[in-house]
Amino acid sequence: MNAAALKRLNAGAAIITVLTVICAVIWAFPIYWGIVSSLKPDDEVVRPYIELWPDTFTLEHYIFALTETQIGIWYINSIATAVGVTVLTIGTSIFCAYAISQLRFPLRQPLWWLILASFMVPTQVLIINHFVLMAEMRLLNSWAGIILPQLIHPVVVIVYKQFFDQVPRDFREAAIMDNASEWRMLFRIYIPMNWGVTTALSIVTFIWTWNAFLWPFLAVTRTEMMTITVGITQTNDAFGVYYASELAAAVLAGLPVALAYLLFQRKVTQAITLSAGIKG
Amino acid sequence: MAEISLGNVSKGFGGVTVIDDLSLDVGSGEFVVFLGPSGSGKSTLLRMIAGLETIDKGTLTIGGRRCEHLAPGQRDVAMVFQNYALYPHMTVRENMAFGLRNVGMNADEIERRVTDAARMLEMDALLDRRPAQLSGGQRQRVAIGRAIVKEPAAFLFDEPLSNLDAALRVRTRVELAELHQRMRATTIYVTHDQTEAMTLADRIVILNDCKIEQIGSPMEVYLRPASRFVAGFVGSPGMNFLSAEVSGSGADQVATLVEGARVPISVPADPGSYELGIRPEAVNVVDGSEASPALVTGEAAVVEHLGDRTLIYLHLSDGTPVTAQDGGLSQVRPGDKVKLAFEPGHIHLFDKTGRAYHAAEA
Repeated sequence: MNAAALKRLNAGAAIITVLTVICAVIWAFPIYWGIVSSLKPDDEVVRPYIELWPDTFTLEHYIFALTETQIGIWYINSIATAVGVTVLTIGTSIFCAYAISQLRFPLRQPLWWLILASFMVPTQVLIINHFVLMAEMRLLNSWAGIILPQLIHPVVVIVYKQFFDQVPRDFREAAIMDNASEWRMLFRIYIPMNWGVTTALSIVTFIWTWNAFLWPFLAVTRTEMMTITVGITQTNDAFGVYYASELAAAVLAGLPVALAYLLFQRKVTQAITLSAGIKG
Repeated sequence: MAEISLGNVSKGFGGVTVIDDLSLDVGSGEFVVFLGPSGSGKSTLLRMIAGLETIDKGTLTIGGRRCEHLAPGQRDVAMVFQNYALYPHMTVRENMAFGLRNVGMNADEIERRVTDAARMLEMDALLDRRPAQLSGGQRQRVAIGRAIVKEPAAFLFDEPLSNLDAALRVRTRVELAELHQRMRATTIYVTHDQTEAMTLADRIVILNDCKIEQIGSPMEVYLRPASRFVAGFVGSPGMNFLSAEVSGSGADQVATLVEGARVPISVPADPGSYELGIRPEAVNVVDGSEASPALVTGEAAVVEHLGDRTLIYLHLSDGTPVTAQDGGLSQVRPGDKVKLAFEPGHIHLFDKTGRAYHAAEA
């Protein structure tokens, strides 16, 4: 490569770097602003000018959120529903994907097309149906009522099916020759061979469910049954327009998934890549 | 060990027949090789015996028991796959024990069988490793060990050496032969490699285009091929084929070749047009003297010195390619005019249908 081309490449790389940094700052600034504001006293938050760093640091809003609200119960509700949705979604998706991928039964192909088609339907379209169902089953204001409608994740089925399809046929035939039943093949061969995918999808499903707002908001009216994402909006009524307290509650709400993402960043990226591949 | 019997089996895929009315008996303890080119149906036939493909028509008997409707796991056969199919997340020990656990065998018996098989295959030290930590040859042994622990009525091998390099293939072939001599297990072995077939088999079943061309011992199929296909497929380098006009009979029988060369033959065939087949080792380089009269003359195109022998690839005057085998110290060079003679006892004739006629045995 000659000097001129190298110079052009370096200039281009520098421009891209600068643009990337600018975009990162724009994206990250609200998070930074929220954290910083939650550490300021109320009078500093409402000042008419921008203060990027607190004059006075205080944890009073966090203490208030932890002691004067039901945030502990909201955490428990979020953990219970997120874990419940994750376990049930992964479990049912594995069975569904294995059946479509490895078994031969009537209407297998139309069932697969139905699952693919359902991927195109936004879950919001089904909100009313779900609400009526849960109401008739008396499951509103319960963990089951929050969990059940959130079990619809066709992308998880699709990803599993793709990976099960890629398991070489020889393994299945060797297992058949080894007298393995379908159950044994699934639990001793297919799932262990795709454990990385399971981990990635579990993490992403957990994060999706933890961050869900619309359905938990509709399904729960009692404060003690709210999830964290719904609960923190209720602090508005309690405090009026105390932004700092609301921001403190929001930071506390997002903290577990932020930690989960930091710990499992690679797996999350893998899962997003998998689902993006399907959407592409 | 059990005998295996296929009775008039047929198999089709989507309207295309891949196995057509085929019958075969494999004796107890016999090592039978299915040999043929790609697409000949040999792997399909093996899979039909294993139960991985259904049998559309016909019967399969293993150890006197009708099996064509039984699931693969109930046929008492063990299979070694071309790509080994070792479960990557299990150790060698777990791979070998997997099938035994599936049938509810007790842990002590499983441990005994695994340990015995590992000792027999000299892989005691590998039991706690995963397949990714093994070489190709070691994986091959684990795949065989997984089959041995089942103590089946028969072993089925689907081109097990095809993924090994040449040197390892030779070594593993010898090990397989020793294993068979030790265990005397009924074995069906699929390969497209005739060297494997010739060295391992008690009998070879040669398949072509979904049909059996010939069943016989290695030397039978080599010395007395039943058809033009078998003659051309078995043997490396392959048999020479020359157009010939056969006339006369008995002591006067003669095959007339190109340039009017007349070859005295003694083959029970009617006069007519044939292909004359003769293996390179029966085509001798001669000096053309009275003591060593020549039949045909060709021009050497390529000469391969293999040390113990020399292969000479020639063209006759009409362009017919011929391969001759000379001694290791042959002085023939490319471009030389070479005089050739044929050994009469090794001449074969093939008619238009491919049917073979052989010289009377000495």
